[in-house]
Amino acid sequence: MADIAHQERRAAGSSPVRSVKAGNGRSTHIASRNRSIALIFLLPAVVILFATTIYPMLYALWLSFRNYDLSKPFIPRIFVGVTNYAEVLSSWPFLHALVTTFKLMAMTLSVQLVLGVGIALLVTQKLPGMAVVRTLLLIPMMISPVIVGLVWLFLYFPELGYLNYFLSVVGIGPIGWITTTDWALTAIAIADIWQWTPFFMMGTAAALQSLSPEPYEAAKIDGNSRWDVFRYVTLPQLKPVIVSLLFLRAIDAFKIYDIIFVLTKGGPADATEVLSLYIYRQSFTFWRMGVGAAASFVSLIIITVLITYFFRSMQRSQAALAR
Amino acid sequence: MKHLGRSILAMGMAALFSGSALAQDKPFAGVELKMLGIGDTSVTRVAPLVGEFEAETGIKVHIDQLPYPGLIDKIIVEASSDSPTYQLLWTDSPWVGLLGEAGALEDLTGRAKRDAAEIGLDDIIPIQLQENTWQGKLLAFPASGMTWMQQYRADLFENADEQKNFKAKYGYDLGPAKTWKEYRDIAEFFTRKKGEMAGGKPLENDLYGASQSYSRVQGAITHDYFPFMRSFGGDYWDPQTGLCAMTGEPHIKAAEYMKELIPFNPPDYLGLMWDIQSGFMERGEAAQAAYWSVRSVRLTNPEEAIVAKTGKVGFAANPISDAGPQPTYTGTLGFAINSKSPDKEKDAAWEFIKWATSEKLMRRFADEGKGVSQFRKSILSDAKLQEKYPYYKVLLDSQVNARRRIFHPFYQAVEENFGVELSKYMAGETATAKEALETACNAVNSQLSIFPVEQRVRWIQDVPAEVLGD
Repeated sequence: MADIAHQERRAAGSSPVRSVKAGNGRSTHIASRNRSIALIFLLPAVVILFATTIYPMLYALWLSFRNYDLSKPFIPRIFVGVTNYAEVLSSWPFLHALVTTFKLMAMTLSVQLVLGVGIALLVTQKLPGMAVVRTLLLIPMMISPVIVGLVWLFLYFPELGYLNYFLSVVGIGPIGWITTTDWALTAIAIADIWQWTPFFMMGTAAALQSLSPEPYEAAKIDGNSRWDVFRYVTLPQLKPVIVSLLFLRAIDAFKIYDIIFVLTKGGPADATEVLSLYIYRQSFTFWRMGVGAAASFVSLIIITVLITYFFRSMQRSQAALAR
Repeated sequence: MKHLGRSILAMGMAALFSGSALAQDKPFAGVELKMLGIGDTSVTRVAPLVGEFEAETGIKVHIDQLPYPGLIDKIIVEASSDSPTYQLLWTDSPWVGLLGEAGALEDLTGRAKRDAAEIGLDDIIPIQLQENTWQGKLLAFPASGMTWMQQYRADLFENADEQKNFKAKYGYDLGPAKTWKEYRDIAEFFTRKKGEMAGGKPLENDLYGASQSYSRVQGAITHDYFPFMRSFGGDYWDPQTGLCAMTGEPHIKAAEYMKELIPFNPPDYLGLMWDIQSGFMERGEAAQAAYWSVRSVRLTNPEEAIVAKTGKVGFAANPISDAGPQPTYTGTLGFAINSKSPDKEKDAAWEFIKWATSEKLMRRFADEGKGVSQFRKSILSDAKLQEKYPYYKVLLDSQVNARRRIFHPFYQAVEENFGVELSKYMAGETATAKEALETACNAVNSQLSIFPVEQRVRWIQDVPAEVLGD
């Protein structure tokens, strides 16, 4: 049959190569038209992304190499090389803010992880009303951090706060939640834990519901305890999800700003001055936009390096597990 | 028809002339102004009356009221814009150097001189005008004047039992403190727990011996440290180099003294921003406070302060240290004009400033019991008003020999660095006052040292206000 077709084509003066070329031409034309349409559809998104993300980022990078003080136009806005970066990296307040940020991350992420996984195990039980409980538990996550800050401000408020009132009923306190250096960071951590534990709960609950039942049945037949089942069956299967959730939360926690700004503005003293507050102070209190921009890029590099390191570690440990 | 035609012509002419008369009466009719202001007495008293100003002049004024923290940020952003939204800007006197050097504020010298009689320039306490100058130019007009003074619970101080017990314990008569040592003794004496007796009555809440600002927010602690520093004989700058010089003996003594007062303050002292701090006096939960007079009027108004109903507040000049009497720091909250506004709007804004700060309006506020902290001699020296507002006399007397507050273009660096370092010292995180002050001063000087000495020295010169000349 192929021969007949070949002969027919030859008779008609056309070669198979030429036919394929013709077909390719049509498909190339269609592909090119599709590409144009796709580009037209993508254009608004690209323009918005460029205007709101890429351009400001490039502008901030440009700023970070300049002596730019918004409140003092009489200071020449000249190129200063890496001076701003050197100032940031050698400044004690920056290092203090970096340490405070990591302290806060350690406090919040550890508690959120444990609580989130625990609550997820609870709400995935086949009990009546769990769907409603799950929905209710998600509410804190849906509230704007500024509102969360204001809610906790009412609770923590030194003189009129509800928290100290309830503690006084049981004979405790008053505690200077946001006005003493001993408590302020803990108070911020509590508010953050309240808001973001549902994130771990939601992610872990979704993962739990998708786990295959066979290993559990096998473990049951083997007579394992519930703790053993959790430790040797559930936890290993949850690990990739938990690590992913930790990454996402770590990135977010590294940038924490709103709640602190509302509750303490970095105080008392410098007890809650995290990196984002340090950047804010440089940029919008001292108006040293160049130094603020340099600090932003330093913090971007730090978080990128850390996340890359953890991500690679996770990949290595998973590869080892697979072997 | 002829009559009808004449009538129409006459009506038309009348309308035309009345229109032109209206235009002469209200040359700025139809102009709309926006003001970036604070949500505190200097603005809240005026804001409800802008309709009256519009009826008089045809100028519509819209006032946006914001809290003090963050207000300067918005003003700086506004000042850096080439097409400003706000023609009128509320200012605190320490901002004048920063905004003045940046060219953000219109020079009001010419207008003030031109309208001297109308605005009663002679009636304004000179230091209040000086406070609003930069390099001799008047850049804002006083809307509320203040000094740092003592407020104390006169009802407790005048109680016979309290007087007897105080004398038995300290060996001298109880009265408004004349020295900082006395102030400390009084603070210790009146620090009592809920349920204990004070002034012959059981306390419903804890009573604190003093209420001072120790919060770093917006440099509250810095601005309260400065008057202590002044009364201990300290100053801001080295006159030779123009660099920060707040590390000497008077500066250290002042910081140590503030720390000494902590046990007699509310336990959340590090969170005491001005409004929270003054709240303790307003609720009658503090025996005394050294504080700016800007909110003193609230302490005599039962609608704004419980203490006006349950007790009585007295006022006195600053106590002195072993350095002897020192000129106290004063301050002014003012109204300014954005230099980038169009000329017609600038002129309309000046009309508003004249009206909002006029003797007539200030007297009306005082008569109605909701006065602002005054800056006019005629009002502060009025015997009837002095009786009604006991702080008026103190305010008037203390300004004779007052000195203006910090006015440097880098005041924010001072405010913020000293705010953080002083509050760290108060919290016990920095071991000594010397260390805290040196860290703060070094941070300020690291920014200043790149400028030539002549420029730095020019920035610390308090050039006499041209408007006060002649």
